[in-house]
Order: sequence, then structure tokens, then C-alpha cells
Amino acid sequence: MTETKKVCVIGGNTTPFDYNNLHMTIEAMAANAFHETMDDLPEFNPRDIDFVVYSHFSVHFGKQLAPEWIIHDHLGLVGIPHFRVENGGNTGGCSLYAAYALVKAGLADVCPVIGWETMDTVTQSQGSEFIALASDTRYELLVGGIYPIFYAAGALKFMKENKMKEEDFALIAMKNRNNAMDNPKAQWYRNEHKYITVDDVMNSRLMAYPLKKYDCCLMSNGLAVLIVCSEEYAKQVAKDSGYVTIDGVGLSSCTIRAGDRIAFPGWTERYGPGYPDLTEFAACRNSAEQAYKRAGIEWKDSHKQINVAEIHDAFSTSECQIYKALGWADTDTIAEFVRNKETFMEGSIPANPGGGLMGYGHPVGATGLMSTIECFYQLTGKIPQKHLSNKSQVPDARVGLVNSHAGTGTSISNFILRTAEGGR
Amino acid sequence: MSKKASKISKKKNPNMHETTCPPNMELVREFRDEDTKEAGLKIVDYSISEDKTLYQNHLHYDQLYTWRFGELSPYCLGLLEGKLMGTKCPTCGDVFFPARVNCWNLDCKWIKTEWIEIAQKGKVHTYTVAGWSGRSSLKRLPFVLAYVILDGVNTAVAHEIREIEPWDAEFDMPVKVKFIPEDKRVGAITDFYFVPDDGWEPSPMNPEKERIKKLCEPVYEWVKTL
Repeated sequence: MTETKKVCVIGGNTTPFDYNNLHMTIEAMAANAFHETMDDLPEFNPRDIDFVVYSHFSVHFGKQLAPEWIIHDHLGLVGIPHFRVENGGNTGGCSLYAAYALVKAGLADVCPVIGWETMDTVTQSQGSEFIALASDTRYELLVGGIYPIFYAAGALKFMKENKMKEEDFALIAMKNRNNAMDNPKAQWYRNEHKYITVDDVMNSRLMAYPLKKYDCCLMSNGLAVLIVCSEEYAKQVAKDSGYVTIDGVGLSSCTIRAGDRIAFPGWTERYGPGYPDLTEFAACRNSAEQAYKRAGIEWKDSHKQINVAEIHDAFSTSECQIYKALGWADTDTIAEFVRNKETFMEGSIPANPGGGLMGYGHPVGATGLMSTIECFYQLTGKIPQKHLSNKSQVPDARVGLVNSHAGTGTSISNFILRTAEGGR
Repeated sequence: MSKKASKISKKKNPNMHETTCPPNMELVREFRDEDTKEAGLKIVDYSISEDKTLYQNHLHYDQLYTWRFGELSPYCLGLLEGKLMGTKCPTCGDVFFPARVNCWNLDCKWIKTEWIEIAQKGKVHTYTVAGWSGRSSLKRLPFVLAYVILDGVNTAVAHEIREIEPWDAEFDMPVKVKFIPEDKRVGAITDFYFVPDDGWEPSPMNPEKERIKKLCEPVYEWVKTL
């Protein structure tokens, strides 16, 4: 296999993300998202599709095994090969990884990725428990643990060790929710619809200290379609509309139980003793190293070489922990990095201009694709068309990072996307 | 080919658990609620929008699962007897609680670990005060969930610390294991919990503890409404 064949993203759309207010079947959501993509990409012919990767996390929400079969059939794609990828919160990232691998290997030329989750079929607390079925249920779910609780326990130690405060994380929560106010498909825009302050975050109800309600992502219903293809095909159909190349991919894994990270032999071999503990995301660092290397980005000033990032902000604290795992700051600089608002729209590396999981929403199987679509819009200058104004467009963005994240950091992928030459 | 295959299958794998096959699971103890039943799939209601364009219904699905613990059974059996059973690698010496029945160190080539009794004392590695949880834990809120490293173990276990005001939990605090009464045990991790170790006293209130206490107040009020 040669390394010269490039894999591209030429388009994509999400349905609106919402909770209890989206009365659409999954197959209609997929058809609508494709239909909308046809408007952006008039040269794209559905008959060119030669593979479909489906991205869906939990069949518990729909009580339907292989729901992708319903969608595939409904779209009229019978005969075209398909499979579904499932890898917790990193399902979207891993589906993109699979589509990338298929195109890179020459097994597919035009490979859409379709992702969704319908999390409003059960109550919020039942939904939290469904998601927590991805923890080691025999030990962690039974003691009353759900993801905000596992994350909070890691985040509290992180907060102490990095000399940070609750207010620092609240800044991140405020940023993403306020960014979403420029995005009409974002759940925060559609439902709560308000600008918030650090005090609002601090005063929201306790989830698990140091996390409050506004430090946590939204539980959502929604679907996303992303079109991945070869460079030849991109040149053929997306020359005018613009496209991006996927220049770096990385994927790594960590333990299912966060308590097993204090002295895991594999991490000790790679990064020395005492890492990642419960405070750092080793799989993020490891996958970022792979993605940066493939894309020719230097670890030490990666944040200077990336213009925009879509980060898996399941929690405000985890977005902060991810900054560190991406090499943008270290123990001495992370508090200052956050307080300087480096990841705000006016900062050096805006993160989650579309709202992220806290603002746009987190329908798990669709999330990593939503992040990729937002990054694609940024790199092809489409934000003013897709959002309400140009204030959430990062001017002249040409290099973007997409991060997708599962479990308590159990599977993490990172991608480097670049605007294709003449693709903007 | 088939001759060779049959030869290989006769070679004993020292990792395999020895048991009669099929095992006779004859010691049964039930503690299911009286209303636990396997009803399967059932549509229990429907609703239609005012303008008569949208329909939705509620599907109820009730299922009993068999969790077979197999090789991990000594852990469950230990809990019933008030013991914490973990494992130790005979090669590298790493000790696991929760147990791993094969070593995690690749140099040890997935060797079968040995069951050992784990100390019922340890230290809080990190913790949180939960104000929200899954459906089956809401009424216990707020509670402290800690990752505790039991003495001599290479991993931390997540569990609740009780008999403490939530805001009094702290890093490195010594804790001990307390089992629920024997007749209430089910062979699961909920058969025990952590409590502060003898002699531990909460530190004086400070701004962070006041903050956590304040965050807990509405949670106590909310739980009363459940």
C-alpha cells in the first residue's frame, strides 16, 4: 500500500440535534441529511457510493439490533456493502477511521459515514445508566457510577495537580454553549437558547464535584452524514465547493476501568511510571502523536500549527484534560492557557466554534461526525452559510483537528484535516 | 489434518477452569422482588399530537439476564463470606482488585493468576461527591464515590464511602471495608462499601468543603421528592 493516496472529505450535514423535540425516524433523518448534502454538492451522484460505514453506539435506545439495515434499505443502497462500527463515545471517530482505511486501501472510492443516536427514547437517568453499561458493569455501574461521576473523580485530582479552579472549567463550558448560539442546528440554540456566564455554570446543579450541570454535555437525538472519498473523486465533484484532505489519523486505547491506570505495564513502557493515572488521557496523547506524525506536525508547537479544533467536550474538565493530552499545554501552563482564553474564538486555537458536545449536542454515534463536519466547514469557509453569521468562522483556517473520545478515555482518535489546494 | 487437530485438542490448557460439564448449579438463593417478571415486549400506551399528525407509544421490555461469572466466581463467593478476593500474578507479582484472572503484563504471556485474599484497608486515591446518578442510584444521593487503592494492590477500585458527610472526604484518607449483613449479601460488589478507618477525623471546614456542602443542599431536598 502506498502512502501517496489521499483520502478526502467533500461534504456532510447533521439533522438538528435535540431532545424530545425531534419527531423523525432514523431512516428519514439519514435521507434528509443526504438530501441537504446534495444541495451543497450538486455534482455528487448517489450512484457513486460504493461502501457505507454506519456509526451507532447503543442499540438499547432503539431496542432494534442492526438498525443500520433499516437505514441502508430505506436509502435505496441495497447491494452496496456496509457495516457498522461501535466504539463507545469514539464511535464517530472510529467510523471515520474505518472509512479512511477503506478508501486508503482502495477498497472503496466513495464511502459515506452515517451516524446517529436516539437518546430521548428513555428518561435522562435511564439514559445515563444505558451509557454507563459501557463501564465494567460488574464493578462500576453497580456501585452507582455513571460517566459524570467517573470523570469527576479523575477531574478533581487533575484540578488539584494542575492548580486549577472550578471557574477555569466553567470558562470552557461557557465558551462552548455561547458558541452554539450562532448555530441553528445546535441543541443549546434550539432548547435553552441563552448566553451564559461563568456564574451561571457555577450556580447550576451538582452532578459530581467539580462538575455541575452546565459542565456536562447534552443528551441528544440526532444524525450526521459525512462523505469520505478518494482524492480523484474529490477533484471530480468538489472542486468548486471545496474539500479537505485527511492528512493525519491516530487511534489508541486505554483501560475500561479508570482505576487500572495507576501502573498499567503498557503505559509504563511507553511513558514511564505513574502515567496516565486517573488524571490524564494517555490514549489521546498516543493517538495525537500518531496523527501529528502522519501530518508532519511537531508535538512541541502543535497548537501553533493547528488553526481550529473540534474537541470531545463531554465535560468541561475533559476538554481541558484533552488540551494537555494534545500537547498544547503542560502542568505549568495549562491554567494560564485556559485563563488566557486561547481556545475562544478570539484566541490562538479556537476549539468547538460550533458548540461541541455541550452546545451542539452529543447523540453518541453522530458526535464524531458532527465534529468532522464542523471542521470541514471551517476549513472550506462554509461557516457563514451553515451557521447564522461569520462570527463562528475562524478566519483563514487551513489546518484543523478532530478529536473523538470514548469511555473514561478508553478509546480516543485524533485527525488532522487540511484545506485541499484550491479547495476553499 | 483432522488427526493433527484431535491431537492438539487433547493437550491440556493449564488456564482452563476445571468443572463438571454441564455444572450442576443446584445451590440457588433468590431475592428478586415479587413483581419481577419477564414480560417481554409489550406496547403499554400510545399518544397522538393535538393536530393528529404525530403518533408515539411506549414499549415496555422486561428481561432477566444470567451473568455467568465462571473464572471470576471466587470473587463472588468471597463476597458472600465477607472476604475480598483478588488475584496475584505468579510471575511478575502484580496484585489485582478487581481481579484479573490472567496477568496484564504481556511478558507474562497471559498466565493464569492466583487467588489471594486482599486487605480490607486502603487509601483514597481520588474521589468525587455525586449529585446525580443512574436510575437505580438516585435515592442514595448525594454520595461519595472514591477510587481506593487497597493495601498491597496495583489497581484502584471504585466504590462508595459511607458514614461520612460528603464534603468531609479527602485525598489519601484511610478507609476500611464494611460488609453488609450476611443474609443481605448477593455476591456482588454492593455487598460491601468503604467507611473511614478507625481514628480518622474530618479536617475543619474550609472554603472548598463549604462549597461542596452548599452544592449538596438542593440535592438532599430533591431526593426527598422522589
